[in-house]
Amino acid sequence: MKKFDLAEVKRLSSLSALRFSEEELNSFLPEFENILEMVEQIKSANTDEVELKYPECDLDDLREDKARESLSVQEVLTNSPKTRKGCFSVPQMLED
Amino acid sequence: MEFEKYSLLELVDMLKSKKVSSEELTSYFIAQIEKKKNLNAVIEVFEDALSKAKEADIKIKNNENGKLLGIPVIIKDNILYKGKVCSCSSRFLENYVAQYNSTVVEKLLREGAVIIGRANMDEFAMGGSTENSAFGITHNALDYDRVPGGSSGGSAVAVAGGLCPVSLGTDTGGSVRQPCSYNGIVGIKPTYGRISRYGVVAFASSLEQVGPMTKTVKDNAYMLEILSGKSEFDETSSKEKVEDYLSAIKGKIQGLRIGVCKEIIESVKGMEVEKPFLEVINWLKDQGATLVDVSLPDYNLSLACYYIIAPAEATSNLGRFDGIKYSRRSEDAKNVDEIYIKSRSEGFGKEVKRRIMLGNFVLSSGYFDAYYNKAKKIQIKLKKQTEELFRKCDVVLSPTTGSVAFKLGSKNSDPVSMYKEDRFTIISNILGIPSLTLPFAKGEKDLPLGLQIMANSFKEGTIYNLADFIENNWEVK
Repeated sequence: MKKFDLAEVKRLSSLSALRFSEEELNSFLPEFENILEMVEQIKSANTDEVELKYPECDLDDLREDKARESLSVQEVLTNSPKTRKGCFSVPQMLED
Repeated sequence: MEFEKYSLLELVDMLKSKKVSSEELTSYFIAQIEKKKNLNAVIEVFEDALSKAKEADIKIKNNENGKLLGIPVIIKDNILYKGKVCSCSSRFLENYVAQYNSTVVEKLLREGAVIIGRANMDEFAMGGSTENSAFGITHNALDYDRVPGGSSGGSAVAVAGGLCPVSLGTDTGGSVRQPCSYNGIVGIKPTYGRISRYGVVAFASSLEQVGPMTKTVKDNAYMLEILSGKSEFDETSSKEKVEDYLSAIKGKIQGLRIGVCKEIIESVKGMEVEKPFLEVINWLKDQGATLVDVSLPDYNLSLACYYIIAPAEATSNLGRFDGIKYSRRSEDAKNVDEIYIKSRSEGFGKEVKRRIMLGNFVLSSGYFDAYYNKAKKIQIKLKKQTEELFRKCDVVLSPTTGSVAFKLGSKNSDPVSMYKEDRFTIISNILGIPSLTLPFAKGEKDLPLGLQIMANSFKEGTIYNLADFIENNWEVK
């Protein structure tokens, strides 16, 4: 079974764009091990004959690609914590 | 008048025949919410609820039609209703105001419903006890010291506690059925695609469905017909014809082939629900149904598959919460990376973070084949086994949960034991098949136990017929 260590939990928090205290990271260790132990049951199943199919849903019934009324810029921006001149506003990303 | 004692269908008749007005009804239920505030089932009563009720009364006076004209409804806090906050019971979306209606809300409004408020839930629908809400825990309607179940705990308590005649929940792994079971009411997770998910905040898109939660089976059948149908904004919604589910209720079950699944019978051994479950099966045989022994060999792997597939999809769906477009942004973030990391770390609760991390684990390089692809392959295998199973029978019975609602706080420190609460419900989400729960027995302290009826895709009519028969003829004991 895959063993979780602190480095692995740190890797996952970085992939998840989440930050934790050392204490929180440590508390994840036994929890993840228990969860993993449960999901490892899947290894017992023989799936050699099974083929995966993507996409899973039928995509031959799409609606016509036609311009139509949509949300206004104002509506789209309503829930943004910071906007400027009709755009989402973020801190400067490139150096001067 | 104590309106919570009436079924939805009775209230529809009373409104139509003008024995009661929508304003009276709505005021009554709003007062109930206030009176039972300690249950913490409802996060917000919409300020325009009474004015909408008055509008409905004018329509009733003018003899306009609408299957829910004037009926107060409560929706789960992850269903968009234009102009109203939809927070998913998360700090992240605390101030998020819906800019459009979900398809289900459109359908409710088209039939004249008065949406009076939003119900508490586990944050982003992740949990089985409604203890993961950023806005406090919800209490079981029948026992204040116990969980209401989850994630649609607020919606279930709203109906069971007499705060509204009908509510909507969402069910990704049992989130409609398990809280209905714990509160002694009826709930369905329909066939995947039966109801459009457009405008429902996504958790695990390939597994979830909206479901109505009601006091009676007939109320539920009535609601499902209203909510079902293809939406042009949801490719996964189905074009399959929507049945008149009330007409599918015939009052008899002669010739119905009930599948007794070996793996389910083995799973219930030693559980509180075992005795009444076996009794109801035998009773159904006496009532004219045919019992058929069936098997779903990989049944017991569904829980493990779920805790791979659902977190994988959740990780992807929750990637959109970056602190830029929606609601929350950390105040002391100095650059874009910090916006992402700090906003997410401050905005999400622990269970949500746990599942995002787990999802990233099963999707990450080196583990993708061993976990995610393997789980998807088992899902395909299970679907094939199910096709075989439904050639032999029309429905399969199972308990909804192994025992009555557990005590608040008793499973918080052990995620796996919490996850196992869904052991009987998850299979329907993995298979995409419809599954209904109705109260059928009493366990510890006379608290309710739910019976689950599953059928092949789009056979909700068959389920309602059997459920109604049990509701009317079987003595709950």
